[in-house]
Amino acid sequence: MRSLFRQSPELFILSGLVIITYAAIALFWNVPGTEVLTPTKMWFIIVLSFLFSTFIAIIAVIAGIGGGVLFTPVMLAFTSIDTLLIRATGLVVAMFSGLISTGPFMRKGLADVKIVFFCSVPIVVGAMAGAFAAIYLANVMGATGDAIVRLALGLVLVFIAMMFILGGSKTEYPQPKKIDSFSKKMRLYSAYWEESLGKVVEFHATRGLLGGFLFFAVGFTGGFFGLGGGWAVVPVLNLLMAVPLKVAAASSGVLLAMGNAAAIWPYITKGSLLPLLAVPWMLGQVVGGILGAIILVKIKAGFVRKVLIVILFLTSFKLIARGLEGLFGINIPVF
Amino acid sequence: MTEKPKPPFSALIYGEIVYWGTLAGCLISLIGTFITFVFPKKNVLDPAYVLSSLWTGKTAKEIWVGALGAEPMGHWYLSNLSCGDALQMFGLAIGVFTIIPACFGASLALFKEKQTVYAILAFIAGMITTLSMLGLFAIK
Repeated sequence: MRSLFRQSPELFILSGLVIITYAAIALFWNVPGTEVLTPTKMWFIIVLSFLFSTFIAIIAVIAGIGGGVLFTPVMLAFTSIDTLLIRATGLVVAMFSGLISTGPFMRKGLADVKIVFFCSVPIVVGAMAGAFAAIYLANVMGATGDAIVRLALGLVLVFIAMMFILGGSKTEYPQPKKIDSFSKKMRLYSAYWEESLGKVVEFHATRGLLGGFLFFAVGFTGGFFGLGGGWAVVPVLNLLMAVPLKVAAASSGVLLAMGNAAAIWPYITKGSLLPLLAVPWMLGQVVGGILGAIILVKIKAGFVRKVLIVILFLTSFKLIARGLEGLFGINIPVF
Repeated sequence: MTEKPKPPFSALIYGEIVYWGTLAGCLISLIGTFITFVFPKKNVLDPAYVLSSLWTGKTAKEIWVGALGAEPMGHWYLSNLSCGDALQMFGLAIGVFTIIPACFGASLALFKEKQTVYAILAFIAGMITTLSMLGLFAIK
């Protein structure tokens, strides 16, 4: 605990302030109850949102995914809150753990600044193109087209998860056989201190051009479905571009924060993001994000791979279920 | 190589601006949270009404129109910073905003490090986010 405090005193200060604030609110609460909610229920909703958000953020940072992948299905399944409000808050959940973990990851060299900016522009442009395409295709193809693409996307995720399983520990510190000339010109190489091994790991990313196109595609599908791109950034960086798994996970979190920052402003200015709903989730993401960043630096890459495989399978099941529901008009009770 | 490699200055610039900006945003939001629930009249939207409306599935538009008669225009929280909910929103917006100075700061540092292509990419990323913040294009 003492070494944790030395590493990140601000984590303790922020957590303490959150606890004090929520305790003070409980003591001096002045908001009257309504027919729908009592004051006690209101307080519990806020505190439970914070705690659940903290838990999601730890997993999201370790796996390099946006927390929205976990937040959105749970909120849609278990609450009656409007879907647009959930999507807008989902962006906060997706980006704030990435925002706060940016500092520790950059300090430790675990997130690579060149990889982050190399991927950022295609992802952001792809997300915008996907969002506009979604509006267009919704008018042309309707729900059937949406279901087919969801199903296809789910199957792709199963394929990616299988690659991580079959690739085994080779995916943790991949060694590319050949570096293409584009990646050499872009100087996509770096080194970081691997605490779990106690040594420096050097790497040179490869297939940069193909990676750039795929990041555009990741951004496009993320923007098209409102999924966020977290499920695909780590596989593209690690399996295609041969970036070490922990660097891929850390860079993915940083990238998601940057990508979602462009997407969130329209929700803010239109009033679709309500602070009473979003702020407890934001605070949880920040506290959990710092904790997750500290854990990721120390854990073995193999653990990251296992967490990622589980999340990829869970997400793919949901996508396949929603695709089949849309195609055949059936109801599959998947989280 | 046995020595721990030092991260480039551009990475530190980007990371530190985002990290401390996000923490500052959290502190502002915490103050806003306290004001919201302890002084419920000092809010743009009545917190009891908002929480109940959220729980019954009302849309954002219904909530705003039901409380104020109209949807908000632009950065509604900036003109209401003495209110708890506006302060909460301001804190959240500060966190999101940090990406912009971080991108431009990293871009400058990357230029100094002679990483011209990455400096341009960082500048473009900063510009896209700035245009989105200013509402010049909308992603829906």
